[in-house]
Amino acid sequence: MNDLSIVILLALAVSGVLLWLLLPRHKASRADASSLHSDFNEALPTARHYAYFRQIRQALSAADTEYLVHNAPPHVAKQALRERRAVARRFLMGLHEDFSNLARLGRIIAALSPEVSHKQETERLILGLKFQILYALVWLRLSTGNLPLEQLEHLTGLVGRLATRLDTAMTEISALSAGRLPGSLGA
Amino acid sequence: MNHLEIALSWSTTLFEVVLCGFVFARKAQRILPLFAMYTCVLLACTSGVWLTYEYFGFTSFTSYYAYWGTILLNTVARSLAIVELCRYGLRSYRGIWALVWRVLASLSILLLARAAIDARGQPNAVAIYGTTIDRDLALASIVILAVLLIIRNYYGLALETLQKSIAIGICLICTVDVIGNTILRSLYTGYLFSWFLKSQNALWPALRPQYMRVNDIASTVHLFFFMCAMGIWCFALRKPLPAPSKSPVLLPAEVYREMSPAINMRLATFNDRLMELLKP
Repeated sequence: MNDLSIVILLALAVSGVLLWLLLPRHKASRADASSLHSDFNEALPTARHYAYFRQIRQALSAADTEYLVHNAPPHVAKQALRERRAVARRFLMGLHEDFSNLARLGRIIAALSPEVSHKQETERLILGLKFQILYALVWLRLSTGNLPLEQLEHLTGLVGRLATRLDTAMTEISALSAGRLPGSLGA
Repeated sequence: MNHLEIALSWSTTLFEVVLCGFVFARKAQRILPLFAMYTCVLLACTSGVWLTYEYFGFTSFTSYYAYWGTILLNTVARSLAIVELCRYGLRSYRGIWALVWRVLASLSILLLARAAIDARGQPNAVAIYGTTIDRDLALASIVILAVLLIIRNYYGLALETLQKSIAIGICLICTVDVIGNTILRSLYTGYLFSWFLKSQNALWPALRPQYMRVNDIASTVHLFFFMCAMGIWCFALRKPLPAPSKSPVLLPAEVYREMSPAINMRLATFNDRLMELLKP
């Protein structure tokens, strides 16, 4: 590939990224710093999915799997196991959403802060990138049936504690900002 | 000038007049003074080049240098409009702005230095210098706009409609410039390098029809996309501009100092757990 093709492809790729970034996206759950003041708590659902873990655990328990394998016809057992893996994957996606909300809260706080530390921001950026890679690997292992459920439970416990901490943090922010911010945040 | 060149020049001037009209009718110069200046520079350059062609002739050396001079002027004005886009709305977010301007300034210096080094190594011909530096600056503009938008998206600070349209228009112009200039530069430094040698001056009359044909194609493509970009800007300016958004009320500094390390620590713990999940 010569210089000409490289520059043209590079220009087209960067322009494509730029246009993609400029396209309006209507994603109801997405909150940004500019709309934060209007409805802070509703705009940032912190962690919802971990709350369903008990039901998920019941549905995906080893005892259930064993029962299915021994008592159901092979094709039914196979289909059921496939569906259970799909449920676990969706649950993992939910946990991803919970993580993203926490990271987004960090970014919004940074945007609304009069001073930020470049070290903290770089660290959060790297943590986010690392998470994306790890999440993809876990998702792959879950899809191939290679991930024990108990380990997923540990992860869920962590997200649960995060959610509690987040709720407390939001209350603290509201208290600190009382009288300074318009709308529900300062209320 | 042939009929095509006359038609292109007139339609470009018409678009620029309409654009300037919209800019001042909507009082966009109050919100985006450097973009308003850019539109005026575009109109002034087109008029200036047109007058030079009329007075000195389309193929004269004066017109040739005037053309490259206006290209440089347009590039400077466009760069200032991009600087304004970078500043717009972000300055109110003091913490982020302090971080972002350093990132963008470092990137700009790096890209400008690369453009200067790239142009310095070229053979001594205005057209080759011009295409090289114009291409590199257009590429730098696209990269800076992309980085700006990535940062804005990351922090959830969306651009307003007018600013988005300006960015799309600039991106379109720059992309076409990069592609066009890359092809031209490749031709100038390759097959057509003999054009720039004094010993080959005798061949000019024979080469002239081919040169004019290539020039017509390049001008048509460039001006078509240039008019598309101006059309996008005019469309964005068709309605009265909304009142500028109020500056955000910032949180107390201690919120960030307390929350940010805590959040990062939690995120790191989350990643550690994911790593544990992956261990055999």
